[in-house]
Amino acid sequence: MSPQEAQRKSRLLRGIHRTVTGLHPALESLMAAVVGLLVGAILMKIWGFKPWEAYRALIQGAYGGGYELSNTLAWATPLILTALTFSMCLRAGMFNIGAEGQMYMGALAAVCIAYFVLPPGIHHLVGLLFAATAGALWSLVPAALKLLRGVSEVISTIMFNWIARWLGLYLTLNILVDPIRSEKSVSIPTSARLPVLVEGTSLSYGIFVSVAFALVIYFLLWHTATGYELRAAGLNPTAARYGGIRNKRTMFLSFILGGMAAGLAGATIMMGMPPTYAAFGGFPQMLNMGFNGMAVAMVGRNHPIGIIIAAIFFGGLSSGGGWMQILAGVPLEMVNVVMGAIVLTMSIPELIRVFPAIKNGTYKLIRSLRDGKGKAVEEGST
Amino acid sequence: MKKFFALTLVLLLGISVLGLAQGKIAMVLDVGGRGDLSFNDMGFAGADRAAEEFGLELTEVQSASAADYLPNFRNLARTGQFDLIIGVGFLLGDALGTVAAEFPEQKFAIIDVDWIVGPNIINFVFRENEMSALIGALAGMAAADAGFAATGVVLGIPIPVLYHFEAGYRFGQDWGLKKYEELTGNAADVAMLYTYTGTFDDIALGKAASEAMLAQGSVGIYNVAGPLGTGDHEAIVEFHDNAGTTYGPPFYFGVDANQDYFGQGQHALASGMKRVDVAVYSAVKSVIEGTFEAGVTSLGLAEGGVGISKRADLDAAIEFGVAAGVVEDTQSARNLIVANWTSNRATVPTWIWQAVDELEAGILDGSIVVSNANNDEEIEAVRAEFPLD
Repeated sequence: MSPQEAQRKSRLLRGIHRTVTGLHPALESLMAAVVGLLVGAILMKIWGFKPWEAYRALIQGAYGGGYELSNTLAWATPLILTALTFSMCLRAGMFNIGAEGQMYMGALAAVCIAYFVLPPGIHHLVGLLFAATAGALWSLVPAALKLLRGVSEVISTIMFNWIARWLGLYLTLNILVDPIRSEKSVSIPTSARLPVLVEGTSLSYGIFVSVAFALVIYFLLWHTATGYELRAAGLNPTAARYGGIRNKRTMFLSFILGGMAAGLAGATIMMGMPPTYAAFGGFPQMLNMGFNGMAVAMVGRNHPIGIIIAAIFFGGLSSGGGWMQILAGVPLEMVNVVMGAIVLTMSIPELIRVFPAIKNGTYKLIRSLRDGKGKAVEEGST
Repeated sequence: MKKFFALTLVLLLGISVLGLAQGKIAMVLDVGGRGDLSFNDMGFAGADRAAEEFGLELTEVQSASAADYLPNFRNLARTGQFDLIIGVGFLLGDALGTVAAEFPEQKFAIIDVDWIVGPNIINFVFRENEMSALIGALAGMAAADAGFAATGVVLGIPIPVLYHFEAGYRFGQDWGLKKYEELTGNAADVAMLYTYTGTFDDIALGKAASEAMLAQGSVGIYNVAGPLGTGDHEAIVEFHDNAGTTYGPPFYFGVDANQDYFGQGQHALASGMKRVDVAVYSAVKSVIEGTFEAGVTSLGLAEGGVGISKRADLDAAIEFGVAAGVVEDTQSARNLIVANWTSNRATVPTWIWQAVDELEAGILDGSIVVSNANNDEEIEAVRAEFPLD
């Protein structure tokens, strides 16, 4: 590509970017949602389902009443936290894909409290504390690799997700195993379970943990000097360093806070989700909650308040999706396709915004790989 | 006039009765869903048959994750429209139990769970150890006869249901090896290789585990992890391709559904059939006929709930494959499977098949009691009794 072509291309991209981002964020999201719903409707029409009926089931099933809304909020609870993990690190200029693994470790730590007898209240606090610590510790290694050795956090956090998954499987089925039912871990005792908030639904007091954490992050990012430094380092690390901000410190902080959020997500599921309150091999109750958090963060514009709203939207898709199967006879595969279309269109505005960052990150990664390889060849030849 | 009136009344009543018979049933599945050619598809086969026969509307709800189990059951129960809600699978037990307690008027059925009981729940469990013993005996004798060092079993998540399979298989292989020594006078030294893969959906893991066992000289692979069977079978096909063989060991042993039609019947020697369809069908039937009775029903060889596949079962299995879209819907495709299956079975000597029949008869008349295990402690005891290493 000649320099002129490259320039033309980047100008075009900037043009799209400006057109899309010129709108008010809320209006933009609304438009994206409408487009997504339309795409979903067309897909359903093509495969012979009734879009109108399906969407009615979806919306009624998600927000149609107290029962439905409670289940939606129950779904949103862990999503808020895992979305915060991703957005915290993105604000500091990094892609932390590790919420999934950090959440698993938090869940395992929360299960461990089944072995102590403590009065309610203290037992809850200990569980949350354990989980937050475990999540933070699990994110510590990728953070250290990044800060000390320059290892790409994208790769290391993905790797750590797998380590967490298999370590979790081993611990669940061998160490923390229920002596009577060997397919699951011990169940968390009643004294440490987050009580159900609305009887007959899955909504627990965990929602308060999520929302409180989101508000703390909001306060930290926009009302403290540390938060300012963190955001500045994320926007332009070179300028930030020139201005006297210690980038490594802000990166480290974002990783630790992100890990805590993901760990708490694991705790809200283990301690707050009826009926079993135990880990199963392979963590089927929270599978992909960490990854879905990334989509929530995108739709929520990486802002804690936006994330809460986006998580309620996503929670609605999850709980309403079940009703699409029951009332409209749409099979799960089709439900997932429709959800995918909606999520994709809704993430596009923010994806365009962070696209330059992704592009730079990829270039840097390729360059470092090439340099590393070049070095190895040199060493080999001497 | 009076007569006419009565006739109209009878007609009206008849119509309204027909109208009432338009019932609805719902089936909740684990994350696997349709298309596993095994456990879930067997559940569907039963529900589809019942829905067709009794003119019912079947609503199927597949869970996107385990967090869905509870809301799915609650949503269905809240509608109050369903005559019966069926949970297919062990992992759904806790959620179904919770919702059954919340909605005492709603009738439920659950497969593979016996520890959650209630006045509105009908439970079905299977004595998988009985048919696994037949597979184990067959595999053990075939290995000893063909000079193989081991037999192989690829399992899913270590849950009590799978312990039934393992315990029965161990008992059966031990029985088969003793039979071999008794009949031939030769010592049989055949080990049992087994792996709990920890998954019911990662087909690649099934293939990897199978390849490792085949490399260690296993005479076949018994699939005890539903969908993983396609991976196990693939490993066996590749082994044959590399060796240039068409029939004979290593064999594939199917599970839950009769999977003898796999790979045009070339390598599937036999399947341990678990008739989930029978359980689902009879649960629906009991509700429709008003004979619903809560409690645990155990299905074994004697009840026709489990069994080892035979020639008489093959045609139905092929139709199952056709319905699932994995077997071509032509007569020549059907004939090919039957021919392959027969040739493959012929590589195992007749006396082995007779010995398997003998074991089956022994279990049926109660003279042979197959080991079983329901928890870690019991399976350890069975492993100690039949080490097979």
